Amino acid sequence: MNISFSRLDDTIARFTLGDSSPAFANAFRRTMIGEVPTLAIEEVRIYDNNSALFDEMLAHRLGLIPLTTDLRTYVRMEECSCGGEGCPGCCATYTLSVEGPRTVCSSDLIPADPKTAPVHDTIPIVKLVEDQKVVLEARAVLNIGREHAKWQPTLACGYKSYPVITIDERCDACGMCVDECPRGVLALGSRSVEIVEAKLEDCSLCKLCEKACLAGGIGENPAIHINQDDTRYLFVVESDGSLPVREIMEYALLRIKKKSEDLVDILNDISGGTVHEASS
Amino acid sequence: MIPVRCFTCGKVISTAWVEFKQRRDAGEDPKTILDDLGIERYCCRRMLLTHKEIIDDLIPYQ
Repeated sequence: MNISFSRLDDTIARFTLGDSSPAFANAFRRTMIGEVPTLAIEEVRIYDNNSALFDEMLAHRLGLIPLTTDLRTYVRMEECSCGGEGCPGCCATYTLSVEGPRTVCSSDLIPADPKTAPVHDTIPIVKLVEDQKVVLEARAVLNIGREHAKWQPTLACGYKSYPVITIDERCDACGMCVDECPRGVLALGSRSVEIVEAKLEDCSLCKLCEKACLAGGIGENPAIHINQDDTRYLFVVESDGSLPVREIMEYALLRIKKKSEDLVDILNDISGGTVHEASS
Repeated sequence: MIPVRCFTCGKVISTAWVEFKQRRDAGEDPKTILDDLGIERYCCRRMLLTHKEIIDDLIPYQ
Protein backbone atom coordinates (compact mmCIF):
# COMPACT_ATOMS: atom_id res chain seq x y z
CA MET A 1 0.00 0.00 0.00
CA ASN A 2 1.23 3.51 -0.73
CA ILE A 3 -0.26 6.98 -0.48
CA SER A 4 0.74 9.98 -2.56
CA PHE A 5 -0.81 13.34 -1.75
CA SER A 6 -1.83 15.83 -4.38
CA ARG A 7 -3.08 18.22 -1.72
CA LEU A 8 -2.71 18.18 2.05
CA ASP A 9 -3.53 20.83 4.61
CA ASP A 10 -5.31 20.76 7.96
CA THR A 11 -8.83 20.71 6.56
CA ILE A 12 -8.65 18.90 3.22
CA ALA A 13 -6.59 16.13 1.65
CA ARG A 14 -6.63 14.68 -1.85
CA PHE A 15 -4.52 11.62 -2.36
CA THR A 16 -4.05 8.45 -4.38
CA LEU A 17 -4.09 5.17 -2.54
CA GLY A 18 -2.00 2.71 -4.54
CA ASP A 19 -1.37 -1.08 -4.39
CA SER A 20 -4.70 -1.59 -2.70
CA SER A 21 -8.00 -3.42 -3.11
CA PRO A 22 -11.68 -2.38 -3.22
CA ALA A 23 -12.20 -3.90 0.24
CA PHE A 24 -9.34 -1.98 1.80
CA ALA A 25 -10.29 1.33 0.18
CA ASN A 26 -13.80 1.04 1.58
CA ALA A 27 -12.59 -0.10 5.00
CA PHE A 28 -10.30 2.93 5.10
CA ARG A 29 -13.15 5.29 4.20
CA ARG A 30 -15.51 3.77 6.75
CA THR A 31 -12.90 3.85 9.51
CA MET A 32 -12.12 7.50 8.89
CA ILE A 33 -15.82 8.40 9.08
CA GLY A 34 -16.97 6.16 11.86
CA GLU A 35 -14.09 5.06 14.08
CA VAL A 36 -11.91 8.10 14.70
CA PRO A 37 -12.94 9.71 18.02
CA THR A 38 -13.52 13.44 18.49
CA LEU A 39 -14.88 15.64 21.26
CA ALA A 40 -18.49 16.83 21.19
CA ILE A 41 -20.78 18.21 23.86
CA GLU A 42 -22.88 15.37 25.26
CA GLU A 43 -24.33 16.66 28.53
CA VAL A 44 -25.69 20.13 29.23
CA ARG A 45 -26.83 21.39 32.61
CA ILE A 46 -29.08 24.39 32.09
CA TYR A 47 -29.40 26.80 35.01
CA ASP A 48 -31.28 29.53 33.23
CA ASN A 49 -32.84 29.69 29.78
CA ASN A 50 -35.68 32.03 28.92
CA SER A 51 -34.70 32.38 25.27
CA ALA A 52 -37.05 31.49 22.41
CA LEU A 53 -35.44 28.06 21.98
CA PHE A 54 -36.26 25.03 24.12
CA ASP A 55 -33.54 23.59 26.37
CA GLU A 56 -33.36 20.50 24.11
CA MET A 57 -32.81 22.56 20.97
CA LEU A 58 -30.13 24.58 22.70
CA ALA A 59 -28.35 21.40 23.81
CA HIS A 60 -28.64 19.96 20.30
CA ARG A 61 -27.09 23.05 18.74
CA LEU A 62 -24.27 22.98 21.29
CA GLY A 63 -23.61 19.31 20.49
CA LEU A 64 -23.03 20.08 16.81
CA ILE A 65 -20.26 22.63 17.45
CA PRO A 66 -16.90 21.11 16.41
CA LEU A 67 -14.36 21.20 19.24
CA THR A 68 -10.58 21.08 18.87
CA THR A 69 -9.60 17.58 19.94
CA ASP A 70 -6.33 16.42 21.44
CA LEU A 71 -6.29 12.64 21.25
CA ARG A 72 -3.17 12.43 23.42
CA THR A 73 -4.81 14.13 26.41
CA TYR A 74 -8.28 12.62 26.32
CA VAL A 75 -9.43 9.01 26.34
CA ARG A 76 -12.87 7.56 25.78
CA MET A 77 -15.05 7.43 28.88
CA GLU A 78 -15.38 3.64 29.04
CA GLU A 79 -11.61 3.22 28.77
CA CYS A 80 -10.88 5.90 31.40
CA SER A 81 -9.49 5.07 34.83
CA CYS A 82 -12.43 6.87 36.44
CA GLY A 83 -14.69 4.01 35.26
CA GLY A 84 -17.13 6.10 33.23
CA GLU A 85 -18.02 8.63 35.92
CA GLY A 86 -16.37 11.57 34.16
CA CYS A 87 -13.04 13.12 35.12
CA PRO A 88 -10.64 15.65 33.51
CA GLY A 89 -9.03 12.70 31.65
CA CYS A 90 -12.13 11.89 29.62
CA CYS A 91 -14.37 15.00 29.79
CA ALA A 92 -13.94 18.62 28.76
CA THR A 93 -16.14 21.11 30.57
CA TYR A 94 -17.49 24.45 29.38
CA THR A 95 -19.48 27.27 30.89
CA LEU A 96 -21.72 29.74 29.10
CA SER A 97 -23.40 32.77 30.61
CA VAL A 98 -24.92 35.45 28.37
CA GLU A 99 -27.53 38.13 28.92
CA GLY A 100 -29.44 39.81 26.08
CA PRO A 101 -29.77 41.76 23.95
CA ARG A 102 -27.25 40.01 21.67
CA THR A 103 -26.66 36.73 19.86
CA VAL A 104 -24.98 33.92 21.80
CA CYS A 105 -21.96 32.71 19.82
CA SER A 106 -19.70 29.69 20.11
CA SER A 107 -16.98 32.06 21.43
CA ASP A 108 -19.16 32.58 24.55
CA LEU A 109 -18.58 28.93 25.37
CA ILE A 110 -15.67 29.17 27.82
CA PRO A 111 -13.62 25.94 28.00
CA ALA A 112 -12.02 24.85 31.27
CA ASP A 113 -9.12 23.55 29.15
CA PRO A 114 -8.16 26.14 26.48
CA LYS A 115 -6.92 23.32 24.19
CA THR A 116 -10.52 22.19 23.67
CA ALA A 117 -11.93 25.50 22.44
CA PRO A 118 -14.58 25.45 19.67
CA VAL A 119 -13.05 25.37 16.18
CA HIS A 120 -15.12 28.36 14.98
CA ASP A 121 -15.82 31.43 17.10
CA THR A 122 -18.78 32.80 15.20
CA ILE A 123 -21.35 29.98 15.21
CA PRO A 124 -24.63 31.60 16.28
CA ILE A 125 -26.39 29.57 18.99
CA VAL A 126 -29.44 31.65 19.91
CA LYS A 127 -30.56 35.25 19.57
CA LEU A 128 -31.46 37.00 22.83
CA VAL A 129 -33.42 40.22 23.36
CA GLU A 130 -33.67 42.44 26.44
CA ASP A 131 -34.22 40.50 29.70
CA GLN A 132 -33.44 37.12 28.14
CA LYS A 133 -30.65 35.06 29.62
CA VAL A 134 -28.86 31.76 29.09
CA VAL A 135 -26.67 30.24 31.81
CA LEU A 136 -25.41 26.69 31.40
CA GLU A 137 -22.64 24.21 31.96
CA ALA A 138 -21.68 21.67 29.31
CA ARG A 139 -19.61 18.52 29.28
CA ALA A 140 -17.95 17.20 26.14
CA VAL A 141 -16.80 13.59 25.80
CA LEU A 142 -14.74 11.66 23.29
CA ASN A 143 -16.71 9.23 21.14
CA ILE A 144 -16.94 7.91 17.58
CA GLY A 145 -19.03 8.76 14.54
CA ARG A 146 -20.77 5.39 14.61
CA GLU A 147 -22.42 6.47 17.86
CA HIS A 148 -23.66 9.84 16.59
CA ALA A 149 -22.77 12.00 13.57
CA LYS A 150 -21.67 14.86 15.86
CA TRP A 151 -18.53 12.82 16.67
CA GLN A 152 -17.66 12.35 12.99
CA PRO A 153 -14.33 14.06 12.23
CA THR A 154 -14.86 14.06 8.43
CA LEU A 155 -17.23 15.94 6.15
CA ALA A 156 -16.90 14.83 2.55
CA CYS A 157 -14.94 11.58 2.72
CA GLY A 158 -15.03 9.41 -0.36
CA TYR A 159 -13.10 7.77 -3.15
CA LYS A 160 -13.31 6.64 -6.76
CA SER A 161 -11.30 4.12 -8.75
CA TYR A 162 -8.42 5.51 -10.78
CA PRO A 163 -9.63 5.97 -14.37
CA VAL A 164 -7.86 4.19 -17.22
CA ILE A 165 -8.62 5.65 -20.63
CA THR A 166 -7.51 3.75 -23.71
CA ILE A 167 -7.91 5.17 -27.19
CA ASP A 168 -7.27 2.65 -29.97
CA GLU A 169 -6.03 3.19 -33.51
CA ARG A 170 -9.55 3.17 -34.99
CA CYS A 171 -10.08 6.71 -33.61
CA ASP A 172 -10.56 9.10 -36.53
CA ALA A 173 -10.39 12.30 -34.44
CA CYS A 174 -14.00 13.19 -35.15
CA GLY A 175 -14.12 15.08 -31.83
CA MET A 176 -17.59 13.88 -30.75
CA CYS A 177 -16.25 12.52 -27.43
CA VAL A 178 -14.37 15.77 -26.76
CA ASP A 179 -17.62 17.74 -27.00
CA GLU A 180 -19.47 15.23 -24.85
CA CYS A 181 -17.02 15.01 -21.91
CA PRO A 182 -18.42 17.08 -19.00
CA ARG A 183 -15.06 17.30 -17.22
CA GLY A 184 -12.92 18.40 -20.16
CA VAL A 185 -10.61 15.39 -19.92
CA LEU A 186 -10.24 14.90 -23.69
CA ALA A 187 -8.81 17.11 -26.42
CA LEU A 188 -8.38 16.79 -30.15
CA GLY A 189 -4.85 15.77 -31.14
CA SER A 190 -3.34 15.76 -34.62
CA ARG A 191 -4.41 12.23 -35.61
CA SER A 192 -6.58 11.03 -32.74
CA VAL A 193 -8.19 12.18 -29.51
CA GLU A 194 -5.78 12.72 -26.62
CA ILE A 195 -6.05 13.05 -22.86
CA VAL A 196 -5.40 16.57 -21.60
CA GLU A 197 -2.34 16.67 -19.40
CA ALA A 198 -3.09 16.45 -15.63
CA LYS A 199 -6.81 16.11 -16.38
CA LEU A 200 -7.03 12.31 -16.23
CA GLU A 201 -7.87 12.31 -12.51
CA ASP A 202 -10.90 14.55 -13.19
CA CYS A 203 -12.58 11.78 -15.22
CA SER A 204 -15.78 10.72 -13.44
CA LEU A 205 -16.02 7.37 -15.32
CA CYS A 206 -19.38 8.44 -16.78
CA LYS A 207 -18.58 6.79 -20.15
CA LEU A 208 -20.43 9.47 -22.14
CA CYS A 209 -17.43 9.51 -24.49
CA GLU A 210 -17.95 5.80 -25.26
CA LYS A 211 -21.59 6.50 -26.15
CA ALA A 212 -20.60 9.50 -28.27
CA CYS A 213 -18.06 7.38 -30.11
CA LEU A 214 -20.68 4.71 -30.89
CA ALA A 215 -23.13 7.40 -32.02
CA GLY A 216 -20.49 8.54 -34.49
CA GLY A 217 -21.02 5.24 -36.35
CA ILE A 218 -17.75 3.49 -35.56
CA GLY A 219 -19.42 0.08 -35.36
CA GLU A 220 -20.12 -2.37 -32.52
CA ASN A 221 -17.20 -1.31 -30.29
CA PRO A 222 -16.18 2.25 -29.45
CA ALA A 223 -12.62 3.38 -30.17
CA ILE A 224 -12.35 4.85 -26.67
CA HIS A 225 -12.57 2.71 -23.58
CA ILE A 226 -13.00 3.85 -19.97
CA ASN A 227 -11.89 1.31 -17.37
CA GLN A 228 -11.12 1.50 -13.71
CA ASP A 229 -7.92 0.46 -12.01
CA ASP A 230 -8.91 -1.74 -9.07
CA THR A 231 -5.59 -1.24 -7.31
CA ARG A 232 -5.57 2.56 -7.22
CA TYR A 233 -8.09 4.92 -5.61
CA LEU A 234 -8.51 8.67 -5.60
CA PHE A 235 -9.58 9.88 -2.16
CA VAL A 236 -10.96 13.18 -0.94
CA VAL A 237 -11.05 13.66 2.83
CA GLU A 238 -12.31 16.83 4.43
CA SER A 239 -12.12 17.54 8.16
CA ASP A 240 -14.54 19.59 10.26
CA GLY A 241 -11.53 21.15 12.00
CA SER A 242 -11.61 19.10 15.20
CA LEU A 243 -8.64 17.03 14.02
CA PRO A 244 -6.14 17.69 11.21
CA VAL A 245 -6.78 15.40 8.21
CA ARG A 246 -3.38 13.77 8.59
CA GLU A 247 -4.19 12.71 12.14
CA ILE A 248 -7.56 11.30 11.05
CA MET A 249 -5.83 9.18 8.40
CA GLU A 250 -3.09 7.96 10.72
CA TYR A 251 -5.54 7.06 13.45
CA ALA A 252 -7.81 5.24 10.98
CA LEU A 253 -4.92 3.16 9.59
CA LEU A 254 -3.73 2.19 13.08
CA ARG A 255 -7.32 1.29 13.94
CA ILE A 256 -7.64 -1.02 10.91
CA LYS A 257 -4.33 -2.65 11.83
CA LYS A 258 -5.42 -3.18 15.43
CA LYS A 259 -8.77 -4.62 14.38
CA SER A 260 -7.25 -7.07 11.91
CA GLU A 261 -4.66 -8.20 14.45
CA ASP A 262 -7.43 -8.77 16.98
CA LEU A 263 -9.27 -10.83 14.37
CA VAL A 264 -6.17 -13.00 13.81
CA ASP A 265 -5.90 -13.55 17.57
CA ILE A 266 -9.53 -14.57 17.83
CA LEU A 267 -9.23 -16.94 14.86
CA ASN A 268 -6.11 -18.42 16.43
CA ASP A 269 -7.99 -18.97 19.68
CA ILE A 270 -10.77 -20.79 17.84
CA SER A 271 -8.61 -22.86 15.50
CA GLY A 272 -5.76 -23.56 17.91
CA GLY A 273 -3.03 -21.40 16.36
CA THR A 274 -3.01 -22.18 12.66
CA VAL A 275 -3.68 -18.65 11.33
CA HIS A 276 -0.66 -16.61 10.32
CA GLU A 277 -0.55 -12.87 10.23
CA ALA A 278 -0.48 -11.52 6.71
CA SER A 279 2.07 -8.84 6.00
CA SER A 280 0.76 -5.63 4.51
CA MET B 1 -31.89 30.15 13.86
CA ILE B 2 -29.75 28.89 11.01
CA PRO B 3 -28.79 25.19 11.50
CA VAL B 4 -25.24 24.83 12.85
CA ARG B 5 -24.18 22.33 10.20
CA CYS B 6 -25.25 21.21 6.74
CA PHE B 7 -27.84 18.44 7.15
CA THR B 8 -26.21 16.27 4.51
CA CYS B 9 -22.44 16.56 4.78
CA GLY B 10 -21.98 18.15 8.21
CA LYS B 11 -19.96 21.19 7.15
CA VAL B 12 -20.38 24.12 9.55
CA ILE B 13 -22.39 26.63 7.50
CA SER B 14 -23.86 28.80 10.27
CA THR B 15 -20.67 30.90 10.41
CA ALA B 16 -21.43 32.17 6.92
CA TRP B 17 -25.02 33.18 7.60
CA VAL B 18 -24.53 36.76 8.85
CA GLU B 19 -22.41 37.77 5.88
CA PHE B 20 -24.64 35.87 3.42
CA LYS B 21 -27.77 37.60 4.72
CA GLN B 22 -26.19 41.05 4.66
CA ARG B 23 -24.91 40.73 1.13
CA ARG B 24 -28.07 39.08 -0.20
CA ASP B 25 -30.22 41.84 1.28
CA ALA B 26 -27.91 44.36 -0.38
CA GLY B 27 -28.96 42.80 -3.69
CA GLU B 28 -25.92 40.72 -4.58
CA ASP B 29 -26.37 37.49 -6.57
CA PRO B 30 -26.45 34.55 -4.09
CA LYS B 31 -24.23 32.53 -6.44
CA THR B 32 -21.31 34.92 -6.13
CA ILE B 33 -21.74 35.24 -2.35
CA LEU B 34 -21.68 31.46 -1.86
CA ASP B 35 -18.66 31.10 -4.15
CA ASP B 36 -16.89 33.84 -2.17
CA LEU B 37 -17.66 32.18 1.14
CA GLY B 38 -16.20 28.89 -0.10
CA ILE B 39 -19.46 26.97 0.11
CA GLU B 40 -18.93 24.55 -2.72
CA ARG B 41 -21.28 21.58 -2.52
CA TYR B 42 -24.95 21.97 -3.40
CA CYS B 43 -26.04 20.40 -0.11
CA CYS B 44 -24.38 23.22 1.84
CA ARG B 45 -25.53 25.90 -0.62
CA ARG B 46 -29.21 24.99 -0.25
CA MET B 47 -28.87 25.35 3.54
CA LEU B 48 -28.23 29.09 3.18
CA LEU B 49 -30.34 29.67 0.06
CA THR B 50 -33.50 28.19 1.52
CA HIS B 51 -33.21 29.35 5.10
CA LYS B 52 -35.95 31.55 6.57
CA GLU B 53 -35.07 33.19 9.87
CA ILE B 54 -38.08 33.07 12.22
CA ILE B 55 -36.39 33.64 15.58
CA ASP B 56 -37.68 37.24 15.73
CA ASP B 57 -41.28 36.00 15.37
CA LEU B 58 -40.70 33.44 18.13
CA ILE B 59 -39.15 35.78 20.70
CA PRO B 60 -42.48 36.86 22.30
CA TYR B 61 -43.24 33.20 23.11
CA GLN B 62 -40.38 32.35 25.40
